[in-house]
Amino acid sequence: MNTDKKEFAAFPEEEALVPSRSRAQEFFRLLNKNRLAFAGLAIFILFFLTAVAGLVLTSGTKPVLDPALVRLPEKLRPPLSRPNLQVLRPEQIPRLGIYLLGTDDLGRDVFARMLQGAWVSLTVGFVAVGISVVVGIFMGGIAGYFGQEQIRADRILVLILLFLGIGLAFLAHPLLGLLLFALGICLWILCGRAKLRLEGSPWARFLFAETISVDTLIMRLVDIMLCFPSFFLILTVVALLPASIYNIMIVIGLTSWMGTTRFVRAEFLSLREQDFVTAAKALGVSKWRIIFRHMIPNAMAPVLVSATIGIATAILTEAGLSFLGFGVPPPHATWGNILSDGKRFIFDAPWLTFEPGLAILIVVLSFNLFGEGLRDILNPKLRERY
Amino acid sequence: MLSFIGRSVIQKLVTLFLVSIVSFLIIHIAPGEPSQVNPLNPKFTPEIVERFRKAFHLDKPLHVQYFYFYKDLLTGKTTSWKDNQSVLKKIWERFLNSLPLFIVGTLITWTISFPIGIRAAIARGGIYDRSTTFLAYLLISIPGFFFAYILIIFVVTRFHVPVIGMETFGLREATTIHMIMDRIWHLLLPSVLGATGGVAILSRYVRSQMLEVESQDYVRTAKAKGLPPEQVHYKHALRNALLPFVTMFGLILPGLIGGSVIIESIFSWPGMGRMAYEAILARDYPVILTVNFISAVLVLAGTFLSDLLYLMVDPRIRL
Repeated sequence: MNTDKKEFAAFPEEEALVPSRSRAQEFFRLLNKNRLAFAGLAIFILFFLTAVAGLVLTSGTKPVLDPALVRLPEKLRPPLSRPNLQVLRPEQIPRLGIYLLGTDDLGRDVFARMLQGAWVSLTVGFVAVGISVVVGIFMGGIAGYFGQEQIRADRILVLILLFLGIGLAFLAHPLLGLLLFALGICLWILCGRAKLRLEGSPWARFLFAETISVDTLIMRLVDIMLCFPSFFLILTVVALLPASIYNIMIVIGLTSWMGTTRFVRAEFLSLREQDFVTAAKALGVSKWRIIFRHMIPNAMAPVLVSATIGIATAILTEAGLSFLGFGVPPPHATWGNILSDGKRFIFDAPWLTFEPGLAILIVVLSFNLFGEGLRDILNPKLRERY
Repeated sequence: MLSFIGRSVIQKLVTLFLVSIVSFLIIHIAPGEPSQVNPLNPKFTPEIVERFRKAFHLDKPLHVQYFYFYKDLLTGKTTSWKDNQSVLKKIWERFLNSLPLFIVGTLITWTISFPIGIRAAIARGGIYDRSTTFLAYLLISIPGFFFAYILIIFVVTRFHVPVIGMETFGLREATTIHMIMDRIWHLLLPSVLGATGGVAILSRYVRSQMLEVESQDYVRTAKAKGLPPEQVHYKHALRNALLPFVTMFGLILPGLIGGSVIIESIFSWPGMGRMAYEAILARDYPVILTVNFISAVLVLAGTFLSDLLYLMVDPRIRL
């Protein structure tokens, strides 16, 4: 035994077999070479820290930097101007001793408002994209993995009954709705029991007829969603719902999952034919483990790229909505509504337009650049040999 | 070929039907009722609200409302709740206002992005390529409303021309040339803004298509046999790279009705986008639903058209 080990240790090949760089090292090496993407990542991290700092500094009952503090004598002061200490009460004096980014038409400190808005942009971007990615992976995964399975007519009937029941129960007739709901559940149980016994009878042919495949159903749903003009749809729904930031996140997320679904479906269709999936099936690995442990990690590359770019789009959409006056209710600042308030003073106080505008531009640009860089890095075909 | 057309028309009609149901449900299930838009308005007495609800079938159950609405829409009798005008007439008027914006914007997009993309692909990795790539990302990332204000400040302070609205008010007595120049100045900024995103995306797409074709074997052969570079790039490579863009003609169709809500509201341009925005604010459901329906029709017609074009242009696809 001992001699064996020594012999192995003497083999130089043993070390040569280990990849010279780990995956993370390789990732950072490629990222380092793509300078634009690296800058994008750096700005993104900076933005993240700023947003977290903004949340800490501007929230609470006695915030360090108060974004809502009105100082009427100090209207429209340009950036980097010193406060006029004679007219301010002691609690109105800005903490920094200077208006770093100027003040707006009510004398509120724009720096504090920008910090508060950074958190809104960050959360809207991440939560909206999170929702769309989860829905997209779920739909795409089902369409790609179970796509060939047919939906039986009785299942559709049960689903229609259940949904009608829930809808009616909440909207118009609670009793009728509950009745339909109960009927649906009964039918579900009965069909499960009766399937074997009714085999071959003309009834069964109708009831258990195979209608459409799961794949067709989901892809038609994607087609339907793509028919809506997206910004108009978001605007409509946000205008109809009560104004709140969560509604915006959910609506943006639920109207942008179609791309992810298509990517994941395409990846799954090609992955399920691959040898490692067949091997896993042959080993008796459960299908959920195959999906979550083996297939989804392999399908993540295009999803990550589109998610990064999706964050940029979501931030732009949110800014556009706040600019139009929808979205987060007024005393709370977002970059979009700072700009929208400032547009009336565009010639007298251009900083009210330029600061939020540039902030949005830089953050969105950093996400776009990082996303594109990620696309190059994660695509082994584009990698040069070394 | 015929079976393909038949199948896809049926499929698109089914999709359209489902879209009509979904959009109807979204609007009607959302909280709040159009008859309660302005509860403080003294004219909105309960009797009038009741009459209003009756006149527009709002007291009927949802599926009956759906039936009434789309019957009216397909026979062209839908009326706006806000001012009782025919919705289709209203949309047509606004559409004519948006049309110049769309045409100029599309022309700018398609004429600028091709030369940029082709040159970037030919000089791959050079300073021109890298700077146009960065510029394209910049244009994709810039918020439209912010860019609009930068351009407004620039044009107004530099050239001293009015840019808001469709034309300068009270120019009746001016000469024809003045009128035309006035219209052009007003048209210029919104259409440039409408084109920025398009230029950025399309030029990137042209570049990647060109790059793909340039790495093909037949291009290398053409280079190897000593053809002049212009001939290789523009005759061998470009013609093959153009193929996917033929189909994009179909996909610009939805832009006809989209109109940018934000740009049209900044420039007070009485186009489709602003009408839709005003309709949303007033909860004018017939207008919202009609705009939605027409744009869904245009999306479906656009994809159908692009499929057909692809069939005609690409001999490799045969059904």
